[in-house]
Amino acid sequence: MECLLEIMTEEMPASHVTSAMDQMKERMGKELAAAGIPSVRLDVFGTSRRLAVAVEITAGQEDAEEWVTGPPKSVGLRPDGSYSPAALGFARSQGIAPEILEVTTTARGEYLGFKRVRKGRSAAEILQDIVPRIVGSLAFPKTMRWAGGSFRFSRPIHGLLGLLDGQRLPIRLPEGTESKPFTTGHRIFDRRRVTPKTIAEYFDLLKEHGVIVDPDERRKMILNQIEEQLSPLDAKIHPDPELLEKLVYGVEYPCVVIGGFPEAFLKLPLDVLSTAMREGQNVFSVVRGRKQLPHFVAVADALKDGKNLIRKGNERVLKARLEDARFFWEQDRKVPLVRRAAELKNVVYQEKLGSYEDKVQRLKKIVAYLWDKVGPASGRDHVLEAAALCKADLLTEMVKEFPSLQGRMGGLYARNEGRPGPVAQAVFEHYQPVGPDDESPASLPGAVLSLADKVDALVGAVGIGVQVTGSSDPYGLRRNAHGVCRIILDKKFRFSFGRLIDKVLSVYGDRITLDPREVKARCLEFFSGRLRHLFELMGFRYDLVNAALAPGIDGIYDAYLRVKALDGLRSGSQFEPFILMVKRINNILRDQIAAKPNPDLFSEKEERDLHAAFLAVLNNVLPMIAKGDYARAQNIIFKLQPCLTAFFDKVLIMDEDKKIRRNRLGLLKSIRDLLEKVADYTLIVVD
Amino acid sequence: MSLQNLILNLHHYWADRGCYLAPSYDVEVGAGTMTPDTFFRVLGPRPWKVAYVQPSRRPTDGRYGENPNRVQKHHQYQVIIKPSPMDIQQLYIDSLVALGIRLEDHDLRFDEDNWESPTIGAWGVGWQVLLDGLEITQFTYFQQAGGIDLSPVSAEITYGLERLEMFLEEKDDIYDLDWSNDVSYRDLRMDEEKQFSEYNFERADTAQLRQAFDAAEREAAALIARNLLLPAYDMCLKCSHNFNLLDARRAVSVTERVKMIARIRALVTDIAGRTVAPRGDA
Repeated sequence: MECLLEIMTEEMPASHVTSAMDQMKERMGKELAAAGIPSVRLDVFGTSRRLAVAVEITAGQEDAEEWVTGPPKSVGLRPDGSYSPAALGFARSQGIAPEILEVTTTARGEYLGFKRVRKGRSAAEILQDIVPRIVGSLAFPKTMRWAGGSFRFSRPIHGLLGLLDGQRLPIRLPEGTESKPFTTGHRIFDRRRVTPKTIAEYFDLLKEHGVIVDPDERRKMILNQIEEQLSPLDAKIHPDPELLEKLVYGVEYPCVVIGGFPEAFLKLPLDVLSTAMREGQNVFSVVRGRKQLPHFVAVADALKDGKNLIRKGNERVLKARLEDARFFWEQDRKVPLVRRAAELKNVVYQEKLGSYEDKVQRLKKIVAYLWDKVGPASGRDHVLEAAALCKADLLTEMVKEFPSLQGRMGGLYARNEGRPGPVAQAVFEHYQPVGPDDESPASLPGAVLSLADKVDALVGAVGIGVQVTGSSDPYGLRRNAHGVCRIILDKKFRFSFGRLIDKVLSVYGDRITLDPREVKARCLEFFSGRLRHLFELMGFRYDLVNAALAPGIDGIYDAYLRVKALDGLRSGSQFEPFILMVKRINNILRDQIAAKPNPDLFSEKEERDLHAAFLAVLNNVLPMIAKGDYARAQNIIFKLQPCLTAFFDKVLIMDEDKKIRRNRLGLLKSIRDLLEKVADYTLIVVD
Repeated sequence: MSLQNLILNLHHYWADRGCYLAPSYDVEVGAGTMTPDTFFRVLGPRPWKVAYVQPSRRPTDGRYGENPNRVQKHHQYQVIIKPSPMDIQQLYIDSLVALGIRLEDHDLRFDEDNWESPTIGAWGVGWQVLLDGLEITQFTYFQQAGGIDLSPVSAEITYGLERLEMFLEEKDDIYDLDWSNDVSYRDLRMDEEKQFSEYNFERADTAQLRQAFDAAEREAAALIARNLLLPAYDMCLKCSHNFNLLDARRAVSVTERVKMIARIRALVTDIAGRTVAPRGDA
């Protein structure tokens, strides 16, 4: 059987459509499976105005027999075999004649009851039940009410196409829409009814009426048309997957339109040009190699641009936007960044955490501290200069118009003022990485400034009690922490993260309202969680991640080196036996008192051997750990395995003499203490 | 088609659909939404249909007449229909057709844009309507005004008259538009833009504006206490315009800005609350 549903709405945002499609697919699958009629095929589609589900199912529910249990036989039947009032009442409540009651033996004794055939629900009944529920439970980032109703949805609902095997499937949505056996075509080109009988016909007929329902097909059409129109120019669009998805779901029938703008605007910085195009007008910028061309690519919701009106219209609008951008670029450069920076005292960063001027003063102290940890002797002045200037662009007209250019604009203006290259670059890069796909700052001053900016933001937010829970992260702390970790890993920075937090806390001083120790603990816990997430995204096994994080995250890069070392070793033959050995050590040490090992108290050869081997390993391994060479350190630690095996085989650890016992336990504890610098091996799962 | 013919066409179109044609309001506002014909009428249960032209002042958008797209005063065509009819989008599309736009030759898009005005405690869900990439209309389903959840919901259509006219006349410069056959936008407005830009950015007396803001705020509170809600609301509009002028003079810090907006919103919210649930004399 095939079922087709299409909810028709007013134009929904692209993110709402994709999210609703995912939710419908998941819930429909679950609900059908729960009803006992799993789908053979379940596909979802969507446009700006349509959410469609196409399902193939085998059939409705089958009939099922069930046993209905009544009162115990002793209560229901009198000694003479007649029915008691309890049995008669039960029969009445079930709507059956008492004669039907039978006796059956259960685990709890003999009971009266009867066999009932429960009729399987038809596919139609099941769908009528689950579809309104699914539609009513769809979640959107923002919902609305309309007319006099109280129902909330992304945008007003206009219709429901409901078909089961070519027939209308009567369904009533929660806000009152009744299903119809038809839908309509494109709102401008062809508003006539479309009455499909099958899923295949639905796609074909709608295409004839100006609607491509399948987003994959629209995406292909867009990319093909772009390719077709740009290849004669030997050009490509500047890739922008986010914009592409917005456009795929923003139209019902995509039509690619290439337009141009006056070459004079190419004098504007590329970042400004492409932002004005993308954010201002949702068009792609066009490049040949790395060179920007005076063209753009728009995606219209149209069958064709036969009269070139769409192109001309977009050209006019873009020209006005670029003129605005040029005006900002020219005006902004009349005021040097230093003068703007002086105005930052009037801009609130966060009510409790002070102005942007306060933030800049903190950043200067934090970058100085960080530079001394990770930077060379020269260059300190540059990063300080960058810190002093980095927020000045918040007061430029360009950033007010295009907030996503913050940082980048400051860098461009700094370069334009003739500031040293590293200063301009650091300002330019100091928000990077902006998202999971963005790159960390390329330059060292940029990386240090970005780290300082982000850690300052995090410690400040946590310090005034901001909490990140579930989907709520108003300050973007997760993204921030992710950025911090990425920079440290990319740049291979090795410094004490705990002491950096101490430093930031001391720079904040009284502005932090919570107890600084509490703030530090919360920050470290938060970062530990983010790092776990990041490592798992990188593909490391969760138990290795846990083991590598157990020694703490004071060195974030070290945590990465540890998990990488474990991951490299895990397939080796020594790995699993060693893990088992460590678990054994851990078990024996549990709840026991251990002493500092005293060589004079050793009596057996095996314990002397183990002690000697341990000291040799320790001397070798500590410098490697200090250097972060965890893989080699680990390989040397494996060399303890034979001595440990012999020790466990030959030496009675739990000696009756307390001194000897504690000395032997002490030897094992020293070994465990060393191991804990590398990983908590007990967290690693062994088959 | 001249700008005044555009207005006449829209008047005919919306009057034919049952709208009362309101005169423009005579207190300075930043948008048609702020006038009493919208603000008070979207509150409460009573149905309402209105259309009007509203001159809208945004002092910071002044460009001394030198920018072909930005002006410190523009004109909005405001339509409010309550409750929002199910065919409101189609009514809007038909209004464009009635203006002679052959939509099948163009790209008409409803692009997510949720409107909000913190000053009057209002927000809604809707779109900016783009015609070949040009924003010609703001389309909003009002969800809240004066901090009150609205039921029924009103549909608001705000045409940007100059934008739409630039599209219709295919012109790149606002000052080249024809207001009527004989009068151009330049004739009518250039001097005004130049003089008001200078006033807004350079001459407006900030000390006096602050005093005027405080005085209007005090008066609004006093009027509210006497249940004179309509004059009280006018005082709020005056506060808002004085604030906008101070903003253009860059005399408002970011913190102060938030506080001043909150002061106006507190009054407006009070007015809205009393409008929906009238209270006895204080």
